[in-house]
Amino acid sequence: MDLPVNYNRPLMMHIDLNSCFAIIEQQANPLIRHKPVAIAAYDTPRGAVIASSYEAKAKGIKLGLNVRDARLIDKNVIVLMPDPPKYRDAHKRFKKVLLNYTNEIRPKSIDEFEIDFSGSHAVQRDISLTDIGYQIKQDIKREIGSYVTVNIGIGPNRFLAKTAAGLHKPDGLDVINGDNLLEIYKRLELIDLCGINTRYQARLNVAGIHTPLDFLGAKAEYLQKQVFKSRVGLDWYLRLRGYEVDSRIFARKSYGHQYALGDKTTDRQKLSRLLMKLCEKTGRRLRANGYSAVGIHLWLNFANRQYWAKGKNTKSEMYATGDIYLQAQKLLNQAIIPTKVTNIGVTVFGLQTCSPEQQELFSGSRLDKKALARAADIVNDKYGEFTLVPATMAGMQDIILDRIAFGSIKNN
Amino acid sequence: MREKINEKVSVVTVFSAKRRAAAPYVVSWQNKEYKVGEIGYHHTIKDGEVLHHIYELADKESTLWMRLNFDTSTMQWTLEAVSDGLAS
Repeated sequence: MDLPVNYNRPLMMHIDLNSCFAIIEQQANPLIRHKPVAIAAYDTPRGAVIASSYEAKAKGIKLGLNVRDARLIDKNVIVLMPDPPKYRDAHKRFKKVLLNYTNEIRPKSIDEFEIDFSGSHAVQRDISLTDIGYQIKQDIKREIGSYVTVNIGIGPNRFLAKTAAGLHKPDGLDVINGDNLLEIYKRLELIDLCGINTRYQARLNVAGIHTPLDFLGAKAEYLQKQVFKSRVGLDWYLRLRGYEVDSRIFARKSYGHQYALGDKTTDRQKLSRLLMKLCEKTGRRLRANGYSAVGIHLWLNFANRQYWAKGKNTKSEMYATGDIYLQAQKLLNQAIIPTKVTNIGVTVFGLQTCSPEQQELFSGSRLDKKALARAADIVNDKYGEFTLVPATMAGMQDIILDRIAFGSIKNN
Repeated sequence: MREKINEKVSVVTVFSAKRRAAAPYVVSWQNKEYKVGEIGYHHTIKDGEVLHHIYELADKESTLWMRLNFDTSTMQWTLEAVSDGLAS
């Protein structure tokens, strides 16, 4: 295969809210604008920074640093805990702005969207995507706030649009097309390409590929058979040239929750209580979206950086929180806990839609767990989350807080 | 520094027919009246079926940030937090 670079009109746009959580906090509080702000999972010294403002980034306060180190770098850094409902509200407003332009939008995470303009009204009327990009920037300022800025990238495929969005931060707008592709690749390192991490970079280096231009120049067969030894090589060959290979949407396959323990422990009773809350959160989402599950996975991370994980297919379907907890607890009983647990997570998989529903033997009786779970959900929907909880969870209101997951988000 | 307050406060609100929106205008807290300057962010949250309006704003002198919660079931305002915009 020998394909040229894609010279078609770039119609894919990638929009990325700059330093999302930090900039929304700066928007909400005018007194902390133009100041170093770090959003940390917890504002205690060992809390991890999950987002930082451009002012903080400029000082070296980056993701993953703990609060104590961030304060050592700059004692004036303003550390805040995340406010997920506010960020979700900003995400909704962000989406509302984009829906004014086309329906072909796809959220990639809480702060990123991909927009496919092919076939849109704007393209039919021959309006430049660059003009639309500047208009979107204005609309976002009006809809979310004047301090909020976005990076916009335009390219012939999703990969190049995202690459373009990363060229000038913050508040950039760049286009990558067939004409400037080589010029852009010349300015980048392999690690700058979305999807290339240090291990991928090392693999490419071993294959004699040291720059994006080397990568672009590599033959499809070489990438497929020698470098990646799979279909992934062909995908990279096409992706780098501006052909779309990332349009597939993956359906949800699981629901899960995880928790980083503030109070690290080996106490199985404490872990059981945390597990119950994780199961309740998982179960709430599972039921709200009309699913039951037939598989469960439990994992633990330990202070010595080791981990333990186990999953199984359950013989019966899990619907009520109690069903999930029972299976999770069985797994926890099998866990070998050599030292303090730092993280715990539970995931249910093997999703089955609840409609049409298989009637249970005890359906309609007091042993009908599904009806009980639904009734509890109705109470919690009406009076607020965790109004009605299993006894094991009593007094855990402020443990396992609402969080926003990194990466891809799905509507449910 | 941000400080949690959680006190009921008196708030004068203004409704603009043109913008179809209501917003705090004066906040009275600890025997002092704060004229509202910029409203940085306004969003709503639901606690069960109860809708809460959350306003995050700075006073006119830009010396104090406040987070106000308006509970639509009780029609009461709560000052949830304040900040002077400095690090703790």
